[in-house]
Amino acid sequence: MTDLHADLTEAQPDAAPARGGSQSGRSVKAPQDAARRQTAALSAFLLVQTVGTVFFVGDVIGDLREDPTSIHFMFEATVTMALVLGVLFGAFALRRTIELLRAQEAALDVARGALSDVIARQFQAWALTPAERDVAFLALKGLDVAEIAELRGAAQGTVRAQLTRIYSKAGVSGRAQFAAFFVEDLLGEGVGPAT
Amino acid sequence: MAPPRILAAKAADAPTVAATAPPSLWDPVVRLSHWGIAAAVVLNALVNEGGSLAHVSIGWGAMALLLMRLIWGVLGPTEARFSAFPPNPLTAIAHLRGLASGERPREYPSHNPAGALMVYAFWAALTVVIATGLVMTGGATPMQVAADKAAVASGDWAALVKDDGEEDGEDSVFKEGAEEMHEIAANLLLILAALHIAGVFVEGRLIRRNLLAPMLLGSKTKAEAKRRQ
Repeated sequence: MTDLHADLTEAQPDAAPARGGSQSGRSVKAPQDAARRQTAALSAFLLVQTVGTVFFVGDVIGDLREDPTSIHFMFEATVTMALVLGVLFGAFALRRTIELLRAQEAALDVARGALSDVIARQFQAWALTPAERDVAFLALKGLDVAEIAELRGAAQGTVRAQLTRIYSKAGVSGRAQFAAFFVEDLLGEGVGPAT
Repeated sequence: MAPPRILAAKAADAPTVAATAPPSLWDPVVRLSHWGIAAAVVLNALVNEGGSLAHVSIGWGAMALLLMRLIWGVLGPTEARFSAFPPNPLTAIAHLRGLASGERPREYPSHNPAGALMVYAFWAALTVVIATGLVMTGGATPMQVAADKAAVASGDWAALVKDDGEEDGEDSVFKEGAEEMHEIAANLLLILAALHIAGVFVEGRLIRRNLLAPMLLGSKTKAEAKRRQ
């Protein structure tokens, strides 16, 4: 049962790519992916910068052995020093970025885990059968009847009947209220009299 | 039975902040410097002619990558820092003995003790290769090497004389010693690299985990790996 569930959730992005069934997952993940790519690009740049800096340091040391008092040497040494500092600060900033990214990912996982805990407990409280839990979970993820039926290899009529039973067990009027049941708590004092 | 299992498993796969397992994906600086140095060692040991401009340039590039990796060992994220993988031969031996006896080794937040020892040995050998290389070229940057070669090619042999002319006796003995060490340390590097590859392969099979993926692009979650296929 659990495996079926895992498979369903994993297979779901493939099965419903056009619909964007994993809107929640994808919209949060996309910036994370972008940030990860950006970090990789920054790292590559930092390494190239390091290579350039090392070549310059070598050059400056060569100049130092030839004539340490020349204007050429002093100027180049200053510029190279700036390069070295730039690399060090770059490395430090990159570390901060990487750590920030990880903290965000961890927070996201915690939030996801917490929400799914809440959902699981609620499903249990409503005494949903295992099949109903699967359907309810997929419905919460935004799949429509046809997609759920396809994923579960069931007839659309079956899924529709299951959804109806789920709504009645949950005491909600339909899909919108069903989804709102879990979102409501996250929104806090969202609904108030219009001012 | 319940959906949280999936999400809990996902959370465990993600790069952990409270690191109890090695990262599922090393940070980009570690990865780029790893493969950069690997390429440099292979190219310089097996392809390039010693003393050629390409050989010297790649050596300088490897020096830069090594320097950045060492800086990263202080400034980098937790698992890249030296403090995450202190060199300790005793725990390394214990780890290897544990592997040999078939017990599942405990998780380390970074390199395992044997891997850590390998890392330090490799860096030490690489440092020797780079230092002796610098002695052999008289510390000439690739730009200077190129300029000297161009001068010689155009018929100005003074560039050669400048290098070898002064303090002939002591200096050339010193340089010969450096050359000897350069070759020994370079061979040692190749042996260490082979050991490292064997270690990754054997340990990966024993603990049934892909140890190569974290150094490439990461395996991510099962779902993403599937999608990518």
